[in-house]
Amino acid sequence: MDINFLNLGNFFQPILLVKIVTLLIIGFYIIFSLVILTQVKAMSEILVLPHASIIFKTLAIVNIALAVSLFLGAFVIL
Amino acid sequence: MTDIFVAAKSNKDSIIKDENEESHMNILSSFCKDPKGISFQTQKHNEIIVLFLRAHFITNLYWIIISLVLITIPAIIGILSSVFGIGFFSSPLVSHFTTVYVLLYYLIVFSFIFINFLHWFYNVFMVTTERVVDIDYSDIVVHNIAITKLSHVQDVNYTQSGFIPTLFNYGNLFVQTAGTEINFEAPNVPKPREATHIIGDLIGKK
Repeated sequence: MDINFLNLGNFFQPILLVKIVTLLIIGFYIIFSLVILTQVKAMSEILVLPHASIIFKTLAIVNIALAVSLFLGAFVIL
Repeated sequence: MTDIFVAAKSNKDSIIKDENEESHMNILSSFCKDPKGISFQTQKHNEIIVLFLRAHFITNLYWIIISLVLITIPAIIGILSSVFGIGFFSSPLVSHFTTVYVLLYYLIVFSFIFINFLHWFYNVFMVTTERVVDIDYSDIVVHNIAITKLSHVQDVNYTQSGFIPTLFNYGNLFVQTAGTEINFEAPNVPKPREATHIIGDLIGKK
C-alpha cells in the first residue's frame, strides 16, 4: 500500500488544524442553536402568549440559519 | 353646610377601569391582573388566570449592560489596532480568520442576549381561580413547573429590601403551602404588596 507521506505532512500543518478547530467550534454552535430552538418550542407549548411564540421561533431559526451560513462560509474562505 | 344625604357614587367608573386593566396585557408586562390572551399547557377549561407575574424589567439591566460592552469590544480592538498600527490583521489569511471569528463572536453574543431574554420572559408566576402556577426557566436545558391548589396555600408574604427594589417597587413574593408540598417563590416581581393582597383575597374566598 502506497502512503503519500508528503500529503500526510500537509495534513498536520498548523493552519489546517486551526481551520478544523474553527469548523468544529461553529459545528458545536449549530448544535447549541438547535437546542435553543427545541427549548423555545417547548416553552411556547407550556406558556402560550400572544405573538411571542412566532417571534422567538423566528429568532431561533434565524440564529440556526446564520450559524449554518457561517459554517459554510468558513469552509469556503478559510 | 353639612350634607344630609350623599348619594352613593356610581360604580360605572370602576367598571370601566377594570375593563381597561384586563386589556392591558403587553407582551413585556411584568404585572398583570386578569390578563387576556394568555394560557398555559395544563389550564382547565373553566380556569381563569387572575394574576400574571414575572420579574421587573429593570432586573434585566445587568445583562443588557454586559451585552452592550460585548458588542463594542471588537470595534474597540479594531480602532486600537489601527491607532497603534498593528499590521497583524491586514494579512489576507489572518483577515479571513478574523472575519470568521468576529462573525462567530457576534452570533455567541446574540445567543447570550436571546437566552437571557428567554430566561426573564418565561420565568412566570401565575395565580388562577383554582391554582398557583410557577414556571421556572432556570437554564437553557432546564425548565421546572410547579403547581398547587389555592386551598393548599397557607400563607402569602413578601420581602422588599434594598435601594433599587424600593425605588422601582419590586420584591420577592413567597407562597407557603401546607404539609410537604413545596413553597413557591416569585423573585423580583413588581408591586409585591398588591400581589400579596390579591392572592390573600383568593385564599380567603376558597
